[in-house]
Amino acid sequence: MKLLNLTNRYYIVIALFLLLISVSFLTYRVIYLMDREISDHMRYEKMQIEKQIALQPGIQDLHIILGDRIQIDPIPKFTTFKVILRDTTVLLSEGGKILKVPYRILSYEQLISNKSYRITLWRRLTENRDLGNGLVTTIILVTLDIIACFYFLNRWFSSKVWRPFYRAINVLKKFDLQKGGRVLFQRSNVEEFNTLNAELTKLTDKVTRDYRNLREFTENMSHETQTPLAIIRSKLELLLQSENLTEDQINHIRSTLDSVNRLSKMNKSLILLTRIENEQYATEDLVPMGQLVKKQLESLDVFIESKQLQVSTHIDDDMSVRMNLHLAEILLTNLFSNAIKYCTRGGELNIMLTTQRLVVSNSGPPLTIPGDQIFERFKKGDSPDSVGLGLAIVKKIGGHCNLQLQYDYINGMHCFYVEFRPERVVVRTV
Amino acid sequence: MKVLLVEDEKELLQSMVAFLKESGMVCEQATDLSSALEKIDLYDYDCIVLDIGLPDGNGLKLIEEMQKKEHKTGIVIVSARNSLDDRLTGLNIGADDYITKPFYMPELTARIKSVVRRRTFEGKREITYHELRVLPDEMVMYVNDKMISLTKKEHELLMYLLSNSNKVLTKESIAEHLWGDHADMADSFDFIYSHIKNLRKKITDHGGKDYLKSVYGVGYKFSGE
Repeated sequence: MKLLNLTNRYYIVIALFLLLISVSFLTYRVIYLMDREISDHMRYEKMQIEKQIALQPGIQDLHIILGDRIQIDPIPKFTTFKVILRDTTVLLSEGGKILKVPYRILSYEQLISNKSYRITLWRRLTENRDLGNGLVTTIILVTLDIIACFYFLNRWFSSKVWRPFYRAINVLKKFDLQKGGRVLFQRSNVEEFNTLNAELTKLTDKVTRDYRNLREFTENMSHETQTPLAIIRSKLELLLQSENLTEDQINHIRSTLDSVNRLSKMNKSLILLTRIENEQYATEDLVPMGQLVKKQLESLDVFIESKQLQVSTHIDDDMSVRMNLHLAEILLTNLFSNAIKYCTRGGELNIMLTTQRLVVSNSGPPLTIPGDQIFERFKKGDSPDSVGLGLAIVKKIGGHCNLQLQYDYINGMHCFYVEFRPERVVVRTV
Repeated sequence: MKVLLVEDEKELLQSMVAFLKESGMVCEQATDLSSALEKIDLYDYDCIVLDIGLPDGNGLKLIEEMQKKEHKTGIVIVSARNSLDDRLTGLNIGADDYITKPFYMPELTARIKSVVRRRTFEGKREITYHELRVLPDEMVMYVNDKMISLTKKEHELLMYLLSNSNKVLTKESIAEHLWGDHADMADSFDFIYSHIKNLRKKITDHGGKDYLKSVYGVGYKFSGE
């Protein structure tokens, strides 16, 4: 969720909650006040009527119905002093329709010239209801309006306030450790953002520096190890030439030589990896993939034959890929030799090259490591002889040349996919 | 055969001298660029083995110096950096071959011999070993003057063995010589075994002696003793 949406969401939830509470309270207050006002008014009217009756004796017997408001009826016997104030519904026929109309009644008994009368005051409530409803609706509308205004204002303010933050995010997104370079943030008026940016600059600088150091270290280390390795190997070879070595001694020399060989292979691979990282293969050629695939397969012919692999190829000869030639060679060699190496004897080796992708698949038992780790350094499953860098190099080349790499295990086949970017593919038209 | 070894790592230099001497070469040594330049001024060599990372300068300078005079000296560059640029520059300015550390001694021997052969006799010279005769550029050998055709790998293997006769050659060094970067492919040792077997058969079938000896657990040796 976006930061702005998050703050707005809270804002809206709280505003609606407040709206609910305040509107209910307001409604309650308005209705209560209006109600009280009506009742007060009716009591006031009662007083007026009493006054009028006192001033104009005999008026009670006129039986005039003043509108539908005041009714004076003689009753046989005076029973109570109680004043009744209650709401009732009256059925009225208005324009042919029968309507239920709410009324409030104030009724009391009075002795006038020793006769008993019931005096009833009627008050129609619809106007007040309408007024109340109108008031509440207006309140709700106005409040909603205010909330909406604040919502958009808040959005606008937030996006203004957070703008440096989003700018910083964009700068960081563009930051590429391998390419190095400093991140440059724009200054903002907000102190916190400036602090954040300063800390980020410090951090990325440090990371870049560390990364560069590490890279240099790996490169130097690998190079500097070559000479001692050469010395060790040469001494062992000299030792091997001596006469009268016992079998034990020969075995010791042999296993030492083996280790030196592994170390040296590992070194070579690491050097290659650092070299790719150091952009030493930056030049781009138009690589005729089909030809290269055939050439690299040919150089591995002996090994394919010896394992009696069933090779099937489907190669698009008319396509070329824009990438470094040397890296393309290494990529293919590593993929192919990997496939041959781990293919079961007499198994299948399929190579398919189209304008979209290269698929290399070989039959073999499932991996002992998770498939998504297959391209990682020093992940090598069950093969003690291998260094475990071949596919790491493939991955590095993929990253460097914008190729998408994928691994899948389908129906007993290990499949490696190399997806070419359409803009890097050139198809020769005849 | 007179060889100048230019290498600043004394231990490695010693090994090279010891190994090459056993192969019948006369070795001179230089541990820096200035003494190497001095030496090429004074003497003629059949081959120079040159480490290009020297303490007092880039070894490529020595090649430039060599180019200034008429010479028949073969030059093999030794480098700790397996960089394409270095290789190309080296070969472009007149080096004959390029080998990366850490290398196998028999490989170096074979390279030196091959460079010298090319330089001195323009590749025409055949190699003889008792009743065997091999031409460097033709896929054949002669056993008691009978011509026997060889496969490419058999020929490469035989040349390698002949360049390092009487030496114990490890399977790894043979594999790397024959298959280079693919040497660590599965089964490469089985191939060596079958190539050796075929080669031995071709030689003995035509009346040659069995010079190919297995050295238990290590590799092979081409020896007439």
